[in-house]
Amino acid sequence: MRNKYSKDTFVLYSIGFLGLAATLFLFVKEQTPEWKNYQKEFIAYVDNHLGPERSAGIETGIHQLWVKDLNRVDRCVTCHIGYNWEGLENAPHPFRTHPRKIFEHHPVEEYGCTICHGGQGFALTEREAHGFIEDWHEPLLGRELEQLYRITDRNVLLQINCNTCHRYDRQTPGADYINLAKDVVREKNCRACHQINERGGVLGPDLTAAGEKPPEQKDFSRVGRPMTAFNWHLAHYNDPRMITPESLMPSFGFTYRERVALTMLTLSWRDVDLPVRYYPQTTEVLADRPTPEEIERERMMREGEGAFFVEQQCFLCHSVNVFNVFAATDIAPDLSRSAENVRRRLGISVEQFLKNPIGTMAAVLGTQISLTDEEKVRAAELLEQANEKYYELQRSAELNNQ
Amino acid sequence: MADDTVKTTPVTTENGKKFLWSFQPKSGKDAGESIVRNFLLHWFPAKVAERSLSWSYSFYLGTITFALFLILVITGIVLMFLYVPSVERAYQSVKDIENVVSFGWFIRAMHRNATHLMVIFIFLHMVRVFLTAGYKNGLGSGQLRPVNWIIGVVLLLVTLFLAFTGYLLPWDQLAFWAVTVGTDIARTIPLIGDEVRYILIGGHEIDQNTLIRFYVLHCFFLPLLTVILIVYHFWRIRKDGGLASYDTVVNAQDKIREKNGGGKKTYSLLGITKGRTVEVETTTRNEESITVNSVPNLIRRVGLVMLATFVFVAVLSLFLHAPLEEPANPDITPNPAKAPWYFLWLQELVTITTFNLFGITFDGGFIGGVLIPGVLLVFLCVWPFMDKSSKETTGVWFTKDRWRQNLVFILICFAIILLTIIGTYMRGPFWEFYLPWESWPDLPGIL
Repeated sequence: MRNKYSKDTFVLYSIGFLGLAATLFLFVKEQTPEWKNYQKEFIAYVDNHLGPERSAGIETGIHQLWVKDLNRVDRCVTCHIGYNWEGLENAPHPFRTHPRKIFEHHPVEEYGCTICHGGQGFALTEREAHGFIEDWHEPLLGRELEQLYRITDRNVLLQINCNTCHRYDRQTPGADYINLAKDVVREKNCRACHQINERGGVLGPDLTAAGEKPPEQKDFSRVGRPMTAFNWHLAHYNDPRMITPESLMPSFGFTYRERVALTMLTLSWRDVDLPVRYYPQTTEVLADRPTPEEIERERMMREGEGAFFVEQQCFLCHSVNVFNVFAATDIAPDLSRSAENVRRRLGISVEQFLKNPIGTMAAVLGTQISLTDEEKVRAAELLEQANEKYYELQRSAELNNQ
Repeated sequence: MADDTVKTTPVTTENGKKFLWSFQPKSGKDAGESIVRNFLLHWFPAKVAERSLSWSYSFYLGTITFALFLILVITGIVLMFLYVPSVERAYQSVKDIENVVSFGWFIRAMHRNATHLMVIFIFLHMVRVFLTAGYKNGLGSGQLRPVNWIIGVVLLLVTLFLAFTGYLLPWDQLAFWAVTVGTDIARTIPLIGDEVRYILIGGHEIDQNTLIRFYVLHCFFLPLLTVILIVYHFWRIRKDGGLASYDTVVNAQDKIREKNGGGKKTYSLLGITKGRTVEVETTTRNEESITVNSVPNLIRRVGLVMLATFVFVAVLSLFLHAPLEEPANPDITPNPAKAPWYFLWLQELVTITTFNLFGITFDGGFIGGVLIPGVLLVFLCVWPFMDKSSKETTGVWFTKDRWRQNLVFILICFAIILLTIIGTYMRGPFWEFYLPWESWPDLPGIL
């Protein structure tokens, strides 16, 4: 006679078989990872194109580049297995040979993959390794993102990572976008307002680690999609006051290429702790230090007749050409003839204007630059002198011409 | 129900070398001896009441919880061989477990899922014991069921703390910020809050000191404490005469006998012991009609429940993987930053009890994070001593006598569950409230 508990036996065995099925499923799943398919295809490809003797020596299994000094492990080479093979330069991805030239100064054993290319080196599936997933914020700097940001050139975005080590270079061979951005930074004298590499002015935010700034801290209300720091900078470099109305930064009329380059440079400024040997041994020519001419110009501005305007930071917006003071930007008028202009347009002296400013200057003198009464008198005297000097110079120029 | 296992066909393994091993006792004596001679089975009684064995009384919630603990111990030991408890290496080692260790992702998923389930099932077990008044003493002397209830409450707390300490170990953003939020609640304890947090995290910031502290607690002290408490918890069940439902069945039998004119026997064991033990009490009754042999009935059912738990966790883990976010970064706060889900009702309480009155902001950290859970905990521990319902309610679901306290208890449980659900699914960026069908605003990325 069977008792009412005997059906427990049936349930017990059923669950046991379910467990067995789950074990089999697990085993099959573990034995058939995505990378094994790529390695099979690679062997077949080598077999067809380079002959069976070369395919015979291919080691299968998980491959990785472990760079202890950089605390990185990159398993990209498990699928990109032909990265250092000769003869696969024209093979399709992921089997193609990596360009060899860059390896001369960047041996793959010392750098790995992701420090340049981005992506997730730990992972072993394409989706996770290329990093276009929610839990990884360093996606592959490749074609997908270049298409997203409408960049027509190829191999552009990974230059962001070149500048992790090369940030103190004046120019970096091969990094044309970063080089362009560095030229722009010098031409427009961004350091007049911003600290970059811990050198520069304090009127704008310090950009030394601008790439670290969490995107959540940015206002995206006036920026289109995608909602990324990259897109924010692209829009901001187009028209800063459109994105942050309270900004003092003028619009420089950058081209799209320049904006992409500047965005990349900004995002490359990160606070990365690298072993010293990873920073390139820059020569004087390469190092991003001011040239002797630039140093001399700065000295003249600081010590010459117009020193007052440099000291009080008027020069950030205004040139005083007659005193050899040159503005960091061309945002505001030259002050050489300002005494005369104020009298003509407002019917008051420049001293009266400085004491009761109107328009933009009311805001600037109210919030950005505060001058004492004595300093305002001194400023007015200097501006009258500048006006006189302007006409003196003009007269002597006319005489010279005659 | 008569014990009919005596009549089963003898099956031995001596000469058969059968593929499927089986054992069925030839007699009641054989069944009893099989319990005693087996180390793993010796904590079971030789006979067990049918009511205690039934699905509908206990739902085997305690057994399931224990099975989950075993899964956690086994998977945890494997993970200990692979995990490196250092700030520099912890995240990498977990990534390696996920990606390159054979079955590593599966073992970690089982560990994670079993944790969540253990928190759920220990809670359900407590709810069951409360609603059936399983914490009440029934028959016989020497019963200390309220003590076992308090041990159970401590086990619940230890389980939560085990889960919480394990939460930090992967050292990803999820871990780091959940522990930040969790330990910040401790800070709101008046007078000693800062010191409590300091001791908990081993400094002022969550760093290497915190990690090693949590690791040692998670892998050694808390499991050890759990094992000791579980052993005592199980031993007390035997000592208290089995599940509380047994007392009820015996009570009912007594009543029938009294009605039929039978009297109660009142002798004590050899006149030596004070009062009568449960064993003596029960042997005076018609045990045959209410009990069955533990072998095979109880053993098979416990084995069934444990196997089912194991298979359920395994199948679940095939599809529900353990999350691993980006490496911990103290400079970037995720939005929203949430405590582990089992503490989200507390985080939600903190939000609710933070309010502005006459321009003064009242910080809910203390009220919601310390006072309310503290009061609930105290009530939970002392309730068996305050429950004045009759002995006949012991081990019975939803008795009329206890309807008021059951209702209050259920309401509190539902409130906790509701707050947990709100905290988990309905709190978006900046801790704003979103209904489940409302989408959260996109958060910006870098590239």
